[in-house]
Amino acid sequence: MARDFSIRARCRNFGWPRDRGTPEIRGPTAGAKRRLIDRAVGKLLFLGALAAIVAVFFIIIFLLRDGYQIVLETGLWNFLAGTEWNPTGRNPAYGVFPLITGTLLVMALAMVIAVPLSIGSAVFIAEIASPRMKSVIKPAIELLAGIPSVVYGFFGLILLTDWIRVTFDQPSGSSWLAGSILLAIMSIPTITSVAEDAISSVPREFKEGSLALGATHWQTIRRVIVPGALSGISAAIILGMGRAIGETMAVLMVTGNAAVIPDPIYDVFSPVRTLTGTLGIEMGEVAFGSTHYHALFGVAVVLLFITLAINSLARVIITRIQGTQGVRSTPPRRVKAAIQRSTPYRAITGAASRIAHAVSAPLRGLVHPRTSQRGAFLLISLSVAIVIAALGVILFEIVVNGAGAITWEFLTGSPRDLGRAGGIFPAIVGTFYLVGGALAVALPLGIATAIYLIEYTADTALTRSIRTAVDLLNGTPSIVFGLFGFAFLVLFLGFGVSLIAGQITLGLMILPTIIRTTEEALRSVPGSLREGSYALGATKWQTTWRVVLPPAIPGILTGAILSIGRAAGETAPIMFTAAIFSTRFLPSSLTEPVMALPYHLFVLTTTVPGAATQSYGTAFVLLILVLAIYLAAILVRRRYSQAKVM
Amino acid sequence: MNESTILKTKNLNLWYGQKQALIDISVSIPKNKVTALIGPSGCGKSTLLRCFNRMNDLIDSSRITGEILFNEKNIHDPHADVYAIREKIGMVFQKANPFPKSIYENVAYGPRIHGMNDKKELDRIVEESLKGAALWDEVKDRLHEPGLSLSGGQQQRLCIARSLAVGPEVILMDEPCSALDPIATAKIEDLIVRLARDYTVVIVTHNMQQAARASDYTGFMYLGRLVEFDGTTKIFEDPGEELTENYITGRFG
Repeated sequence: MARDFSIRARCRNFGWPRDRGTPEIRGPTAGAKRRLIDRAVGKLLFLGALAAIVAVFFIIIFLLRDGYQIVLETGLWNFLAGTEWNPTGRNPAYGVFPLITGTLLVMALAMVIAVPLSIGSAVFIAEIASPRMKSVIKPAIELLAGIPSVVYGFFGLILLTDWIRVTFDQPSGSSWLAGSILLAIMSIPTITSVAEDAISSVPREFKEGSLALGATHWQTIRRVIVPGALSGISAAIILGMGRAIGETMAVLMVTGNAAVIPDPIYDVFSPVRTLTGTLGIEMGEVAFGSTHYHALFGVAVVLLFITLAINSLARVIITRIQGTQGVRSTPPRRVKAAIQRSTPYRAITGAASRIAHAVSAPLRGLVHPRTSQRGAFLLISLSVAIVIAALGVILFEIVVNGAGAITWEFLTGSPRDLGRAGGIFPAIVGTFYLVGGALAVALPLGIATAIYLIEYTADTALTRSIRTAVDLLNGTPSIVFGLFGFAFLVLFLGFGVSLIAGQITLGLMILPTIIRTTEEALRSVPGSLREGSYALGATKWQTTWRVVLPPAIPGILTGAILSIGRAAGETAPIMFTAAIFSTRFLPSSLTEPVMALPYHLFVLTTTVPGAATQSYGTAFVLLILVLAIYLAAILVRRRYSQAKVM
Repeated sequence: MNESTILKTKNLNLWYGQKQALIDISVSIPKNKVTALIGPSGCGKSTLLRCFNRMNDLIDSSRITGEILFNEKNIHDPHADVYAIREKIGMVFQKANPFPKSIYENVAYGPRIHGMNDKKELDRIVEESLKGAALWDEVKDRLHEPGLSLSGGQQQRLCIARSLAVGPEVILMDEPCSALDPIATAKIEDLIVRLARDYTVVIVTHNMQQAARASDYTGFMYLGRLVEFDGTTKIFEDPGEELTENYITGRFG
């Protein structure tokens, strides 16, 4: 050899066999230790994943098993098609038909209100707004998603129902209409952001092609951009429907909750009762193992199936979009293709464009394109204005009235006189306890599961069924988790209403979100980095820990923070598992119940007369807390995207 | 061939699922030489390359029969340590894939995972590896800037430095210049020739001039088979097979 290349010469000092003549590629070498670590970590991750997966399947099976009992007791037909729901009467009746009708009616009217406003807002943000305007309006609409549902319910109860009662001269404002308006506001951010993504991802060339032919911006939007984004917009609407169906607290607080079918069916001022509302109202007073108990599980299973149907539909559409864009294609395409060819699917996706076409038909040819553009943009701007106004009214109402209620005593004292006086300190601390515990449950299990699924297993039928189960729970209404926690943890395991039961319930609720966001974060790390690391002789764990995880951390963190925000604002999962209305003390052990801000607000608003100031104050504190958490997530995400530009 | 052989395959077959990608390949890669693998797209040359350091293990559907010997030892021996094999047989990919870390950390990554924690020693390894990859002079003043801030050709040389840092005997290169401009390509070709003094280099390339310029031996592959393997001059001037001649003269490919 002509010269001793220094790298090779140096290698002899490395401390493991690197002799040039006979390299030792047979173990055990000095690498035995890291192979051992690699294997141990693999086992550990497997155990974590196993625990999470068992939990996920256990919840589903537990619900199905107890839900099936009601079918045995009343018969499937009587349960689903029975028109009377009266579990506590002398002749108890368990017909969920009015509840299903109520759910669908509230959801449908909410969509009638939300869809035009959301699509208008999406088009505005994606196509019309200046960058500066976009940077204000987009987060403002996303802010709507951050407001806890109990705060919406509070707002609905004190302002909206009153407004409906006076304006339409009704005996009571608690009605289908009130529920739908609230749900519309709550699903607008979901629909808007997904639709805006879809519109923004229509290739620029299409738009330029149309404009280059002399089309106006509006003609381009209507004939090229929106049709191009149609599947994404359909998915957005369906996801919004899922959001609306799963909502409990806000609906429960404003719909009047009479289990009746409106008569006539279009009477929007009639009270209605939803599936979720029923669980929220009746779960606390039900006897373990009774027919009523089984009926509530039946309700939960019906909810589960509705959300399953909605989410699968959305997923089919989203996968189709990814398929056409060549992002990823999954095996059972033929099934999907069949669904897409089917009449209802075509009807849904076709309807929107056909309606738009029909509506504009009489105007065509009569109106100058520039005039019609002006009209269209006016309507679009109007829809954004309405959404922003709704946000403004809610924030104004709560901030103005709530800030006045904030005193030192309110923040640091214990409640007195059923919460009419004193403070909410135990509720603030209790919320932190609950969220902290939920994270302690969900974060390690969720991250381990995601790492195991992405890095340690191949894509098999098993992992696909795990993903399906995780997705199913991800879309499941939070009240269903509340039901599970109450039935299994509180009653069956005998935890009683306790901090630990609430922590586990909340933990299980956010587990699917954490698994999914972590999976996404890991998947976004390019495979070439893994190959680069393996090619240097790194073990799987070394590659995962040193190469894959660091760039994925911001994504994982964002998911975790969003979960914290969600857990902090949720009422439904804790109201029968952990929360107590009024206590002067903090829990001294995990088996004691705690106060929590959302539950405190719920009870103050619905059952304690004369506590308006405290209600506003509690809503304000809860709002600030949750929004601060979301702000943290946004900051993490922003730092991340800046780092990526580097 | 009189040179000592470092890598050898015997009747190697490989399937991806149902599709056979390599058919009965027997080849000997001479030590401390540059061997080029050429052939039309999809002929299996990258697949063969990835067999040498068992990167195909990462593809779940792949299945192998036959033997691959590294210094006369079977790399698929049940006791063989796949991590040690990849330490000895490094790889540079088609598209530069520096880690999202600093230049220094990119190079230090390999030694670190193999247990080297001494700061002084690491500094030395980083410097020598970067010199070995002809990148030191360009980056010595900004070792702690992100590796991704380098140009494409520099990133590829960073990846070469990264693989030198673990002290390999063989460096596999999978079309290392296909994403680079002619000037960056020329630099890497120079580097390849220089590396062959101390390392065995196996390079997959689409570019026949590159094979002719930079390699000592050339293998021509077609439809999963190794059609011909010989000295580069022989292959380019007097190929033994008509198929090879047709490919080299540009009659198909």
